[in-house]
Amino acid sequence: MSNEIWVIADMKMDGSIRKVSFEALSEAKRSMQSKIGGPLCAVLMGSGVADKAEALGKYGAEKVYVVDNAHLKDFNPDGYVKALSELVAKHQPHIVLAGNTSFTEDYIPRVAARTGSGLAMEAIDMGLTDDNRLTVKRYSHSSKAISEIEFKAGNTMMATIRPNTYKEEESPVSPEVINEQVDISDADIKVKVVNLETKMSDRPELTEAERVVAGGRGLGSEENFKYIYDLADVLSAAAGATRAAVDAGYCPYDMQVGQTGKAVSPTLYFAVAISGAVQHFSGMGTSKVIVSINKDPETPIFAKSDYAICGDLFEVLPVLSEELKKALAE
Amino acid sequence: MKIVVFVSQTLDTEARVAVSSSGDSVATDDVKWILNPYDEFAVEEAIQTKEKLGGEVIVVSAGPARGIDAIRQALAMGADSGVHIKDDGFAETDNYTIAKIVASEIKKIDGVDFVLTGMKIIDDESVQVGIQLAEELGLPHVSLVSKVVEVDASKLVCQKEIDGGSVVVEVPLPALITCPDAMNEPRYASLPNIMKAKKKPVNEVTLDDIDFDTLGISRDAVGKSGSKVTTVKIEVPVIDRKLKIIKGSDDTTVKGEEIAQAVQELVQLLRDDAKVL
Ligand SMILES: Cc1cc2nc3c(=O)[nH]c(=O)nc-3n(C[C@H](O)[C@H](O)[C@H](O)COP(=O)(O)OP(=O)(O)OC[C@H]3O[C@@H](n4cnc5c(N)ncnc54)[C@H](O)[C@@H]3O)c2cc1C
Ligand SMILES: Nc1ncnc2c1ncn2[C@@H]1O[C@H](COP(=O)(O)O)[C@@H](O)[C@H]1O
Repeated sequence: MSNEIWVIADMKMDGSIRKVSFEALSEAKRSMQSKIGGPLCAVLMGSGVADKAEALGKYGAEKVYVVDNAHLKDFNPDGYVKALSELVAKHQPHIVLAGNTSFTEDYIPRVAARTGSGLAMEAIDMGLTDDNRLTVKRYSHSSKAISEIEFKAGNTMMATIRPNTYKEEESPVSPEVINEQVDISDADIKVKVVNLETKMSDRPELTEAERVVAGGRGLGSEENFKYIYDLADVLSAAAGATRAAVDAGYCPYDMQVGQTGKAVSPTLYFAVAISGAVQHFSGMGTSKVIVSINKDPETPIFAKSDYAICGDLFEVLPVLSEELKKALAE
Repeated sequence: MKIVVFVSQTLDTEARVAVSSSGDSVATDDVKWILNPYDEFAVEEAIQTKEKLGGEVIVVSAGPARGIDAIRQALAMGADSGVHIKDDGFAETDNYTIAKIVASEIKKIDGVDFVLTGMKIIDDESVQVGIQLAEELGLPHVSLVSKVVEVDASKLVCQKEIDGGSVVVEVPLPALITCPDAMNEPRYASLPNIMKAKKKPVNEVTLDDIDFDTLGISRDAVGKSGSKVTTVKIEVPVIDRKLKIIKGSDDTTVKGEEIAQAVQELVQLLRDDAKVL
């Protein structure tokens, strides 16, 4: 085992590095690196990505391992599993961290299996034991429990981190760039992309957003989701939804927050016409401030909220959007 | 078409969750055990595929004796046979070790075309075993499949959701998919089918039947001491919120002029009390 800490640079559709990768680098720098002693490293995988190494140096990456390969152009797990597994086997990092995204969920478990690494998904807290083994806190049981997990020594320790858990903090260095050759052939790529649909939105991405406005079944139609988008835009917030709203076709699946959908941790979460089922709460219960708007005085979400208005969303939201616009302009 | 579905039994997390006296696990005295909800979607998808293309559905589960109920439920939905790897020690076992053990039983079956798992177990929520099964079986995988677009004897076309969009992929069979909810509507098992399920064959396997040497692990890998990660503590988080609920004068919804007042009060609270504006 080396004494390197690695952070995987996870990328968005537009090729930019996700904020959670910077959060992971910042936290590794703050609370792990001096204890473990080795360099803080980033791993950059993709096609035409070499120019992004500097951005990682800004958050403290002293070394950047780059795998630039045409077979990594789509977000296709086959190539990434091979690339990262070979790198881990070759360099034996002490710890590997990554943001928890739908893409890392898709390939990191396979890398852990192939490389014999320990793995915990979606950490909400991390630490080190006296002998520098990783510890991780994570939600389980539909977020009704928090498990503290300790890694054993002797294997690379891997963890993914829930976005918005740690503060990103710049500490610029000029990274040493190490180009790694991984032999990925057409035959390695079993899963072929037939059609890729990206939804570029002007709103911030759900998992990264500081503020989220989410709507539930009570919105009643796709058109009515305009109420949600209007409030979201006033707050520069991301827009989210419950499964009931997604199932009913009011909005696309990638807005779903919850056990199946995304886990979000914003500063401010608006739950509009949402009852607060465990499967929804487990995706937003770590929000710092929860505000709910619901017309049912007995709705379970009230007992999980900081602030609430018991009222009809169609009457309350337009007034609220206006008031907030004024308050934010001051 | 030979279809395999991996299912597990899980604690019903809709109910109250409490910590056991040892402090490192969840109390299981008065809990209800259910077929993992995501696995129900996997079973449904498997049965629909069989109905379209013919063949058989085999359900595989590793767990203690009570786990047979999860297998029987899948059989009652329409699966044909089961494999139950029975042991009490799986609870704290490394995910990849579980994947290796359940996969070893599938490797004994010739000509498996299509393998399905749930996206995660709702109690431990490890979110690893599905994809690790693909690794162990040497199969390509597609996770979080929201819709199977087309499946025939040689390939699978499906839609999966990704951050910032969705993608349609094609993969040659045999392959493995992991299933979220909402990809289909799991059917209810009718009473006659529940009765019939009791007679369907379930092959019971114990750890003595597992060839650990071939798996490249020792028998000690099963259980807490053999795991690469162990749970040392469980806490139940307390929901500690401010609970400032603004209601109307009749203790229900705000109406008429109350609406503007309520909104002003909320905005003021967000600005001065929560300081989030
Ligand atoms: C395996 C599994 C996974 C799941 N995963 C998820 C997940 O990831 N995310 C998720 O969200 N759910 C998930 N669910 C579903 C979850 O159990 C709930 O069914 C869902 O969250 C309910 O959504 P809702 O609150 O919008 O709808 P409801 O529970 O129907 O609540 C609607 C609310 O709107 C209020 N309302 C109606 N009209 C108005 C109005 N005009 N003004 C104000 N309020 C109004 C009502 O009072 C009510 O409280 C999952 C379920 C299962 C079984
Ligand atoms: N003990 C088990 N027996 C059979 N299948 C399992 C077992 N554990 C997990 N699985 C499968 O793997 C999926 C993901 O589980 P997990 O990674 O534990 O969240 C589940 O939905 C099941 O399909």
